[in-house]
Amino acid sequence: MRNALLAAAVVICGIVPAAAQDEAAWTEIRANLAGTRPIEDGAGAIILEAPTRAEDAALVPITVRLTGTGDARVRRLTLVVDENPAPIVSTFELTGVSGDFSLSTRIRVNSYSFVRALAETEGGRLVMVKSYVKAAGGCSAPAAKDPVEAKAHLGEMRFRVFANRGEAQVQVRHPNYSGLQMDQLTRHYTPAWYVERLEVRQGETPLFSMTGGISLSEDPTIRFTYAAGGAPVTVEAKDTQGSVFRKAFPAAGS
Amino acid sequence: MALLAAEPGLADAPPEPAGYRMGDYRAPTPATLSGALVVSVEEAAALWRDGAIFIDVMPRPPRPANLPPDTLWRSPPRDSVPGAVWLANTGFGDLAPESEAYFRSRLDAQLRARPGRAVVFFCLRDCWMSWNAAKRAIALGYRGVHWFPDGTDGWLRAGLPLAPIEPAP
Repeated sequence: MRNALLAAAVVICGIVPAAAQDEAAWTEIRANLAGTRPIEDGAGAIILEAPTRAEDAALVPITVRLTGTGDARVRRLTLVVDENPAPIVSTFELTGVSGDFSLSTRIRVNSYSFVRALAETEGGRLVMVKSYVKAAGGCSAPAAKDPVEAKAHLGEMRFRVFANRGEAQVQVRHPNYSGLQMDQLTRHYTPAWYVERLEVRQGETPLFSMTGGISLSEDPTIRFTYAAGGAPVTVEAKDTQGSVFRKAFPAAGS
Repeated sequence: MALLAAEPGLADAPPEPAGYRMGDYRAPTPATLSGALVVSVEEAAALWRDGAIFIDVMPRPPRPANLPPDTLWRSPPRDSVPGAVWLANTGFGDLAPESEAYFRSRLDAQLRARPGRAVVFFCLRDCWMSWNAAKRAIALGYRGVHWFPDGTDGWLRAGLPLAPIEPAP
């Protein structure tokens, strides 16, 4: 009975979010991101994997798989959360990447919102897919780790290789403060402080680079298509206070 | 069904705590607030027609001062009870002194302009911020404090009008 009631309540409550699935925010964001350039429907070219309802709005897993842009290689990938105060989550420059490529990360979602993956090909075509995610409060959720611990491990890096899956994962320890989190002690917003630039290269060849923002989760983590072997992999991150963190790893991971 | 929608989770209403709610604000709220009158949508609408002071405490973080100037920033738009005063970010469990001073001075200004009026605190349904704000107003000695827990969700569902609002400077 209780489950039946819950189900009924969910259906009723569903009316409002459904009505809120509008494009008003995107109209503004699009103008900033793409101007008046046409954007193609990316169905078949890009797969965006996102939970319909996130367990933790501050850590929403997102995977983008580039599958079918044909000969048009993707050079840039932008993640957007329409309803976040800072909607542009991050932009990935995919220099040196061709063929099938997938990329996963964890983002903050502040209210029920479309999440979008916008790809730009080397020829300048824009291709996009979107997915609706039900999550709330991700940008203002208090940091999961206490500030002292976060500072003690600041800038520590990990590079793990999942050879059987053809993937590798980079993680940078950083609180990535959004500027929207209330400090429980000072009762003021903790100033924004985040990884604004991340570069991953193998030998001298760039694998990808990222321009980040406050909508990326703490301890920024990127998993990406990777063939193990070859020259060492170097990860370099720069945060908004100008700190630079850099580490080289064996190509097979550590 | 309509009853369910209007009063979701009443059975889940937690008991009234002694102090302010300090986090996890989007959760079922108590059925009561000691010292305040708890009003339904119908009662809130009657107060509104009667010229009561409506105080919206929906949070809206300001743009972080140190965000690079070229970062796209988009404050979520807010539709609220027409004529309401939006005292954003005053519904947290604990306020910095400046925030409490802002809360008091804007309330005082409203009461000077409209003396003797009821004051109705609201945000969204299942949001403790309005509960906190009404509790704080009582603690600060304001009288005629009303708490409207259904907030703009209930207002909209009742077919009442909403209007775009910006936080009070």
